Amino acid sequence: MSDLSDPLLQEITGPTPGQLLRKRVFGHQGLIFGLAVVAILAVVAILAPVIAPHDPYAQSLVARMKPPVFLGGTWENPLGTDHLGRDYLSRLIYGARVSLMIGGIAALISGVIGTAMGVAAGYFGGKVDAVVTFLINVRLAMPVVLVALAVVAILGGSLTVVIAVLGLLLWDRFAVVMRASTLQVRGREYVAAAQAIGASTPRILLSEIMPNIVNNLIVVVTLEMAHAILLEAALSFLGLGVQPPTPSWGLMVSEGKNMMLFEPWLVLIPGAVLFVLVLAINLMGDGLRDVTAPENRS
Amino acid sequence: MKNLSLATTLAAVAFAAAGVPALADKANDTLNVAFTKELENVDSYFNSSREGVVMQRAVWDGLIYRDPATNEYKGNLATSWSWVDDTTLEFKLREGVTFHNGEPFNADDVVFTVNFVADPANGVKTQRNVNWMKSAEKIDDYTVRIHLKEKFPAAIEFLSGPVSMYPNEYYAEAGPSGMGLKPVGTGPYKVTSVVPGQHFVLEKNDAYHDSPKGQPAIRTIDIRTVPDVNTQIAEIFSGTLDLIWQVPADQAGKLSAMDQFTVANESTMRVGYISMDAAGRSTMDPNPFTDVRVRRAVNHAIDRNAIVDNLLKGSSKVINTPCFPSQFGCVQDVTSYDYDPEKAKALLAEAGYADGFTTEFYAYRNRDYAEAIASYLNAVGIKTDFKMLQYSALRELNMKGEVPLSFLTWGSYSINDASAMVSQFFKHGSLDDARDDQVLADLTVADSSTDPAERIDFYGKALKRITDQAYWAPLFSYNTNYVFKKSVNYTPTPDEVLRFTTMTWN
Repeated sequence: MSDLSDPLLQEITGPTPGQLLRKRVFGHQGLIFGLAVVAILAVVAILAPVIAPHDPYAQSLVARMKPPVFLGGTWENPLGTDHLGRDYLSRLIYGARVSLMIGGIAALISGVIGTAMGVAAGYFGGKVDAVVTFLINVRLAMPVVLVALAVVAILGGSLTVVIAVLGLLLWDRFAVVMRASTLQVRGREYVAAAQAIGASTPRILLSEIMPNIVNNLIVVVTLEMAHAILLEAALSFLGLGVQPPTPSWGLMVSEGKNMMLFEPWLVLIPGAVLFVLVLAINLMGDGLRDVTAPENRS
Repeated sequence: MKNLSLATTLAAVAFAAAGVPALADKANDTLNVAFTKELENVDSYFNSSREGVVMQRAVWDGLIYRDPATNEYKGNLATSWSWVDDTTLEFKLREGVTFHNGEPFNADDVVFTVNFVADPANGVKTQRNVNWMKSAEKIDDYTVRIHLKEKFPAAIEFLSGPVSMYPNEYYAEAGPSGMGLKPVGTGPYKVTSVVPGQHFVLEKNDAYHDSPKGQPAIRTIDIRTVPDVNTQIAEIFSGTLDLIWQVPADQAGKLSAMDQFTVANESTMRVGYISMDAAGRSTMDPNPFTDVRVRRAVNHAIDRNAIVDNLLKGSSKVINTPCFPSQFGCVQDVTSYDYDPEKAKALLAEAGYADGFTTEFYAYRNRDYAEAIASYLNAVGIKTDFKMLQYSALRELNMKGEVPLSFLTWGSYSINDASAMVSQFFKHGSLDDARDDQVLADLTVADSSTDPAERIDFYGKALKRITDQAYWAPLFSYNTNYVFKKSVNYTPTPDEVLRFTTMTWN
């Protein structure tokens, strides 16, 4: 038998944290859109061999630059064919693999490097901080595109080189943000309490500090993933990224560029898909931050 | 891309502001022409680009002129010539010719020019154009002798092409850089304004001598560098350009469907080919290309007809020889290879590569052609690791012998003699991937013989050996599309040189 006049019991009847989270997630349109687009593209990328109507490498010189179906083409090639008669839709689908793989792995590599440096600098301070800050400044002084161009020009463009270069270049924002976030939480009472009970440094970092700054990390991960995807497209457009015949959206834009005046869809289709993916990743990151931010949790 | 289009827009604005007439055309007798590449130096001995050749033919004259239609040699600055012996040519010069700056043309100019360019210390860019000459000697004011280093049957061809005559007094003072900024020649057009690499204005030379080039008709030729093809097309639409050239086949096809433009297509001497590391110079181990069966398989794997019909189009042709068919000595009776992917696979299997192999594949231009070729090679099991390099970088790599397989082209400097191509690559030079002694022996005889029949005979032997051993996979000849307004009348020539003297208004 409960006594409804007891204020302690009344509070429990409200929504659970799980319900609150769900409500926040589904009430956030940007997050839903971003998640949906990224999820769909991820599925498309993984299932590329099943979904793609044609072999993306199969060339047919007699069937060059057929228009997409909405410009009077046939359903045989729904998005038309490229300058070597390869199916545009299939190349777009396989291109999603390249884009997501480069974005994902590059963000992962730079995330690990940047987070480790940033958290170490923020938590330990002193000389460690000075060294890390110096490294961040050095890195920020180098224009990413220029360094990427130079390295790729020397080593030659390939998927591995592009991923490695971008992964090793894009850690600066991780380090800056993680350092600032760690500085904010390291003086908090719960950190002091953990130190007082004799918790080890790795334990403090992993279970006291990381959970409270991970929402910032999510935003940076998505930003850098989008950044890496755009940079790959830019490098491929310049002929220094992924090498043909590997399908890449940047390469497709580059190959369609010469015919832009007469067949604008050759550039518009991969350009639009690239735009939507980068937008979706950014919206997803913003949304995830909004939903997981500690101040929204209670 | 954003920056590039911004730059071109800015450039266009800058030109408009600089006072270029927006709609200059027939009404004010000005023809607006676009160059795609920046011309590094107008001085024709110090650039190696097609644009430079165009300027050279407009501003300067050679001693001899080759009629592009009949291939007949005619006197230009010389009225007659004769071989004194195997290595000495004597010229009678035309009298009464003056340079654009008023300096009279005579034997001193020829002697000065030849002695200047033949001296390697002066650093003429394309040494091959001039390094066959030893010196020149004045006999009297209008008679001159050119001494050759050794027998060189193509001398007349070179004298009608890249070797043009410069004013001795002016050139001694101005030098190549002064000549590049303020060019002075005897040619049908004089240069009135030079913005290096960007903008050249040519004015008709009213005092042009009675030259086989013909008299210029259009008063002003205004040439601008517009690097992007799409910008060029947009400008010819808007009327700020009257003539563009080297237009890619696809765009030319679209433009020819429009009423306001004439699209003319002419073949060029440029031949595209695949070079294989037959001598085994690269680090590839094992090197499949040392096996003649693999090289023949490469030849059989590529559908050259499909590439010509669908990618190059126009007057391009499938080529079976490592030289252009119109070149003297380029015998066409050679081993040729049909498109037969099954045979290619069988040959690869016979050579022990039933499952194919992976090789680096280099190219420097026409990425789309290179991709199409790579795709054909992949189809028979030759997997390619594609690498696109700048020409100079690839050439350097090639000289070091580090290139197993590459798609290359050669334009022979528009010289209508097989020696300009086959002898360039098969005489054990640093670019020779075959290093065949028999070919070297035959070419040595052919290159130095003065008997035309003997030359044909020995070029034929060399070409047969090369094609039989499949050292190269000769692919196709190139073509150039010229697009101009209907108000312009022009018939392009097969040597890919814009001849302003033959352009008129309709």
